[in-house]
Amino acid sequence: MNRTLEYILPKVQKPARYTGGEYNAVVKDKREVDIRYALCFPDTYEIGMSNLGCRILYGVMNQRPDVWCERCFAPWGDMEEEMRREGLLLYGLESGDPIADFDIIGFSLGYEMAYTNVLNMLDLAGLALRSADRPDFSPLVVAGGTCCYNPEPLAPFVDFFVLGEGEEVTLEYIDLYRQARDEGWSKEEFLLEAAKIEGIYVPSLYEPVYRPDGTLESVDIKPGSGAMETVTKRIVQDMDKAYFPVKTIIPSTEIVHDRVMLELFRGCIRGCRFCQAGYAYRPVRSRSPELLAKYGKEAIEDSGYQEMTLSSLSSTDYPDLLPLCDDLLDYCAPRDIGLSLPSLRADTFSMSLMERLQRVRRGGLTFAPEAGTQRLRDAINKNLREEDLLTSCRTAFAGGWSGVKLYFMLGLPTETDEDVLGIADLARKVYFTWREYSPNKARGVRITVSTSWFVPKPHTAFQWEAQIPVEEYQRRVNLLRDALKRDKSITYNWHDPQTSYLEAILSRGDRRLADVLEWVWAHGGKMDSWTEYFDYQRWLDGLAACGLDGGFYAHRERGRGEVFPWCRLSTGVSTDFLWREREACYQSVTTPDCRTRCSGCGANKLLEGGRTCG
Amino acid sequence: MADRLLFTKTGRARYISHLDLMRTFQRTFSRAKIPIKHTEGFNPHPFVSIALPLSVGFSSQCEILEFGLLEGTSHEEVPERLTAAMPEGIIVHRCYPAERKLKELRYVNYIMTFDYPEGRPQETEPAMAALLGRESLVVKKKSNKAKAGFTEVDIIPLVRSWRMECQSDTMMVDLVTSAQNPGLNPDLIRAAFCAEYPEYTPDFVTFHRRDVLDGEGKAFR
Repeated sequence: MNRTLEYILPKVQKPARYTGGEYNAVVKDKREVDIRYALCFPDTYEIGMSNLGCRILYGVMNQRPDVWCERCFAPWGDMEEEMRREGLLLYGLESGDPIADFDIIGFSLGYEMAYTNVLNMLDLAGLALRSADRPDFSPLVVAGGTCCYNPEPLAPFVDFFVLGEGEEVTLEYIDLYRQARDEGWSKEEFLLEAAKIEGIYVPSLYEPVYRPDGTLESVDIKPGSGAMETVTKRIVQDMDKAYFPVKTIIPSTEIVHDRVMLELFRGCIRGCRFCQAGYAYRPVRSRSPELLAKYGKEAIEDSGYQEMTLSSLSSTDYPDLLPLCDDLLDYCAPRDIGLSLPSLRADTFSMSLMERLQRVRRGGLTFAPEAGTQRLRDAINKNLREEDLLTSCRTAFAGGWSGVKLYFMLGLPTETDEDVLGIADLARKVYFTWREYSPNKARGVRITVSTSWFVPKPHTAFQWEAQIPVEEYQRRVNLLRDALKRDKSITYNWHDPQTSYLEAILSRGDRRLADVLEWVWAHGGKMDSWTEYFDYQRWLDGLAACGLDGGFYAHRERGRGEVFPWCRLSTGVSTDFLWREREACYQSVTTPDCRTRCSGCGANKLLEGGRTCG
Repeated sequence: MADRLLFTKTGRARYISHLDLMRTFQRTFSRAKIPIKHTEGFNPHPFVSIALPLSVGFSSQCEILEFGLLEGTSHEEVPERLTAAMPEGIIVHRCYPAERKLKELRYVNYIMTFDYPEGRPQETEPAMAALLGRESLVVKKKSNKAKAGFTEVDIIPLVRSWRMECQSDTMMVDLVTSAQNPGLNPDLIRAAFCAEYPEYTPDFVTFHRRDVLDGEGKAFR
């Protein structure tokens, strides 16, 4: 181990985060590998190690004998301070070598509030922040993940972005990189060639042209670059052939999701109009239950974990859920291994399933009706009926559960005060259900209502929508708070509006916001998803210093003809479809789920050989 | 009586905390497919207990873990199978049935190394000797139980013996301290030395637990 690191570690909190050496961490002989790759997660070890996507890519890359992929996370403040004081550069956990010497540095971008950490990690690595200031061929700085469906605020810092699922395209660009390096190409030559790979977006080959009012006139392709008109995301065609991390790193310290994660399927059939994941991960592709059961058992055997969780956007929609659960339960129950099922819909089927799975009654259940009235739930296409929710609560309370958490959003398109007050009514109905069906009222009940402030996201039916002004959000919060004041069994929590406002700015932001990111970082911004570090005023100051108006990004309704910063990027879902969905919202008309009827979103065209979604 | 493991914790594994290490052992028994006894009660879990918690960052070649081996595995095969499933830096040397009680573990032998990469001042050796030669050396020790956030402890009666070996850039203190009720964390000696002689504060100090001893000064197993 590096001597400087040894000096530093006794001084910092939770040093096991910074050492590597965990079970199944891949250590290779650096003389025998050709490509060194730093897989960076712009948040702490505990968060990053819980990310299934990173585990998949780590496994996919390290399967190749010529590639050594290592991990790198954002150090907590105490560690960063020590690293900067001792001049220790950001290193790969496996080798301890500085990532600045690696061939490729790849970031996983899952949420906007991690952007400042990307800049901070580049700086800690000893690299220039902006792509243009890194003329050397290596290390290349690339990024993937959900935020890449509109990566414009990070465009000047990253050499290229990867759209969609990375299993295949990562190896494709690694191969191209090696060819380029061995043949001595310049970085520009490499990027021109990389831009020809489907799913790779090289931002320097596109030039946004702004109108005087700040909106986009167009996003022009750099003349002669040959860059694609539209970059479409990549998907794995056959989930049964896709890599699954059976043998994966088992951290020696506690992380957020410390259990076997079994990915049932990708995509979602539901089509909730606010949900970016629901659109961006289309089409639905399932793994076979036999394969899943096999993977689950093997992963338990290899890891020694005592807990397994099924993961997907909506587990109830997995067609073979019951046989799969039975199969897994036969294995788990005699071994005292817990099986949990998040992302269940609040319908009766799910409840009977929950009862079977949970031998020990847990304190609470969580449902996300998202909106308080049927009209608004129809408008956002959250196809959950009040009867279903109440029946589920009834089953839960009768079965001994004594707490329910209900999640809602305020500020959804078409929301009225009636919808806001509907949340209170619904919570009360849940309370009355408890009074009627709980076998043990002496224990009391905890009903928690939580609201967040709706953030319109790119590539959704609501990408044209304005986020409601903060004063209006606050008024609706107060309205609901007053309505729930007398209900002692109902607790109301509302999300702090500050990060939601910044997310609304960044998620639909353009390239000019890069200056704001750099300003905020230069003035100490990092770890913005942590209250210990988040400073709202710093962001407001950053926007002001760069002459940009946050309201322009967050609170402005866009017209049908708006040129979006992400107009060159495609999830496979057509803009016409999204617009139709938006119009259906204003008529409170629902769209059936993908299994009931195909609504022609366009994502099925991503499937080879004219296959249907499933 | 229970079964015991004798294991080494060095290298990167030094930074695994006590609680994390117990969890790591529970999982490692499971992945090595060595069935062990579970606790009873509402939420049964594999029972493991570490004889003397080791501070984060210390290395050790004499850690003892208690557990209960279930039928089907012989003691002899445990070390190799467990080590293969361990994170880097943990090596299991022996697995054996416990023959004596843990309270017979009385002393710990630590090797404390003070690093002076720029050269060690001559005076450090007599300074340390003077410090450890005192009648009494009362220091403040962090405590979560005490109201003030610390308690006072006299180091001297808790040190059974010591000797030093110095090089041009290091000072090594070979120390035998009381193990439990109360034990002594050798970091208190480092802290006392640095407080008393700030001009001789080393760049870095490493701590290594070399052996655990019984009342007669023989290795405890």
